[in-house]
Amino acid sequence: MTSTACRVFRTAVCIAALLIATRAAAQAIPSEPLTFGDGRVVVSGDAAVAFAPKDDGFFNYSSYEQTTLRQVRFGMTAYVRLSDRFSVLGELRSENFEYVTPFALYARIRPLPNRRLDLQVGRIPPTFGSFSRRSYGHDNPLIGSPVAYQYLTSLRPDSVPADLDELVRMRGRGWLSAFSIGDRVGHPGVPLVSAFTWDTGLQLSTGWNMVTAAVGITNGTSSDPRVSDDNAGKQVSLRTTVTPTTGLIVGASIARGEFLDRHIRPLLSNPDAHDFDQRAAELDVEYSRDHWLARAELMRSEWTLPIGTAGAVMPLRSLATTFEGRYTFAPGWYGAARVEHLGFSQITTPTQTTEWEAPVTRTEVGIGYYVQRNLIAKTSLQFNRRDGGRITRSQLLAAQLLYWF
Amino acid sequence: MVVASRARSFWRRSFSTGSDVRRLYTTSLLAVLLLLTTASSPAQPRLGTIRGRVEIARVFQSPERRPSASDLGTPPPREIPDLRRAVVYLETAPAAALESREPARARMDQRNETFLPHVLTVDQGTIVDFPNNDTTYHNVFSISKTRKFDLGRYARGKSKAVLFDRPGVVRIFCDIHSHMSAFVLVFSHPYYAKAEVDGRYRIDNVPPGTYTVSAWHEGETRDTRTVTVPPQGGDVDLDFVVQ
Repeated sequence: MTSTACRVFRTAVCIAALLIATRAAAQAIPSEPLTFGDGRVVVSGDAAVAFAPKDDGFFNYSSYEQTTLRQVRFGMTAYVRLSDRFSVLGELRSENFEYVTPFALYARIRPLPNRRLDLQVGRIPPTFGSFSRRSYGHDNPLIGSPVAYQYLTSLRPDSVPADLDELVRMRGRGWLSAFSIGDRVGHPGVPLVSAFTWDTGLQLSTGWNMVTAAVGITNGTSSDPRVSDDNAGKQVSLRTTVTPTTGLIVGASIARGEFLDRHIRPLLSNPDAHDFDQRAAELDVEYSRDHWLARAELMRSEWTLPIGTAGAVMPLRSLATTFEGRYTFAPGWYGAARVEHLGFSQITTPTQTTEWEAPVTRTEVGIGYYVQRNLIAKTSLQFNRRDGGRITRSQLLAAQLLYWF
Repeated sequence: MVVASRARSFWRRSFSTGSDVRRLYTTSLLAVLLLLTTASSPAQPRLGTIRGRVEIARVFQSPERRPSASDLGTPPPREIPDLRRAVVYLETAPAAALESREPARARMDQRNETFLPHVLTVDQGTIVDFPNNDTTYHNVFSISKTRKFDLGRYARGKSKAVLFDRPGVVRIFCDIHSHMSAFVLVFSHPYYAKAEVDGRYRIDNVPPGTYTVSAWHEGETRDTRTVTVPPQGGDVDLDFVVQ
C-alpha cells in the first residue's frame, strides 16, 4: 500500500471505530442545554474530533498554530440572565488540550426590553463578515474553514519587511512568518478575517423587520483581533443584513482599523506620516429552499504597511471569493461543497512582478450524517493549490465527529 | 265458513287498508328475526374504562434555546413547550383493535420556534400536517427508526405532510433551530390517551381482560403496570408517578 492509501485506510478505520463507539454511547449523553435557576443560567457545550493526514503544506493552519483538520476541540458556553435588561455570555474553548481560551466574554445590555436594541461590551462576536459567527462545527457543513477566515498570509502587525524582495520571499509561509523589522522570531501571519479569535470592545445592534444593523468599535482589526490594544487606534466595523424574502439573506460589512503594532512605528524614519491600517469590505448572500442551501461571499482586504524604514508605504490587497452549497439528499444525510479562491495584488520588485502572497485555490467536498440530532459525523476531501511556497498542491481526506448539547 | 268469514271481517275492520297489513307483516318479521339473532349470538362483553392520573414528580426543565455567544443581539422570544403531558397506553391490545381504520389527519404547528403540540398521539396511518406559522424558515425532520423524513425548508403559510404508517415514537426536530423538538406517538390500536395538564387520563371502551399499561413521558416509558378490566366492565383506576 502506498503511504496515501495507508493514511486513507487509517482514517477510515478511525471513523468506523468512533462511529460504533459513539452510536452506543449516544443515548447516554445530554441532548439539551443544561439550565439552572429557573432558566436564568443556561450552559451548552460542544466537542469536535477531527482526523486528517498531516497537512505538510500548512494550508489549514489557523492562528493557533494547528490545522483545523486535525484537532480535538471542546467548547462551553454559558448564558446568565441577570435581568430583562442585563445578561452575561461567556465561552471557553480548548484546542488539542493545549489552550483554554476565553473565546467570548461580554455583557449584553438591552436598555429597552421591548425594542431590538442591544449593546454588547467585552470580548464580542465579530461585526464583520458572516462566517466568524457560524464557525461552530454544526453551522459549518464541511470540516475545513473558508480561506478568507483561516488561511494565514505572511503579514504580521509586529514585523514588517525591509523591502519587497523580503516580502516576496515569505510567499506561502504564513504559518511561520518573520521579517527583519520588528519581531524577527517566526510566528503565524494573519488571515483576512480571523474566525478563531474574537475582538474586544463594544457593539451596538438593532433591527427593523427585515433589516439588521450593527456597529462595533474594537481594539484589534478583523485580521488581528485582540484583548488588549497594541496600538493607539481602534477598529470601526459596520454590518447590515437584509432579508427581502424568507430564505434569502444579503449581508454587507466594512471595517477599518489601525493594524501596525506600536513597537514598529518608532523604527520608521517618518512614523506619523501614514495610517498603517487594515480596510476590509465584504458582501455575502445566502439562499435556501427545500433541501438546498447556497452561500456566496466576496471579501476584499487592504493593509497599508511600511516597506523598510525609509518611509516607503505599500497597499497590499487581497480578494477572497467563496461559493458554498449544501443539499440534504436523505433524512440525516447531506452533501456539501465549497469552492474558493484567495488572490493578492501584484507588486514589482527589482527582479520580478508577482503577487505579494501566493494565491490559493481550494475545493472541498464532503458528506455529513446525523447519528442523532446532536451528533454529526462528517467526512470531506479537500484539494488545495497554491502558486508558491514549498508545497503547491495538497489533497487531504478528513473526518470529523461533532457533538453538542 | 261462518267463523272464517267473521275472522276476515275482524281483520278488515282492524286494518282498513292493504298497506297496513303489509306493514304489520314486515314489522312482525323483523321482530322475529331480531329475536332469533339475539338468541343465537353470545352476550356482548361490557366494556371498561381505565382512568387515573399521571403525576410528574420530577421537574422537567423546558428545553431552552442553546446559548450562542455569536449572536449580535438578544434572540427573539419563543414559546416554551408544555412538558406536563404524559401518554398512557396499553402495551398489548385486543386483536379486534388492530383492524384497519380510516386514515385520519392531524396537525403539528410550528409557531414562535416551537412545535405545537409538543406531544401528538395518532393512529397508525394518520397523515400529519406541519404548517409553518413563523416568518422564518423551518426544516422539519426526523431520523427516528419508526419514521425517517426530511421536509426541507419552507416558508410561512406553507405546509407539508407526513404519513405515519408504522407504530412507534417519532422524535421531531427542526434542522435550523436546534431548540425545537417534539414527539409523535403512533399507535396501532385505539387504547391510548394523552393526559390533561392536571395529569388526568381516560382510556375508554377497553374489553375485559388483563393488560400491561405504560405511562410515557418525554421520550421514555417511565412506568408500567398490569391492570384487569373485569367481565362486567366498569371503571378501573390506575395512577402513575413519573420520577
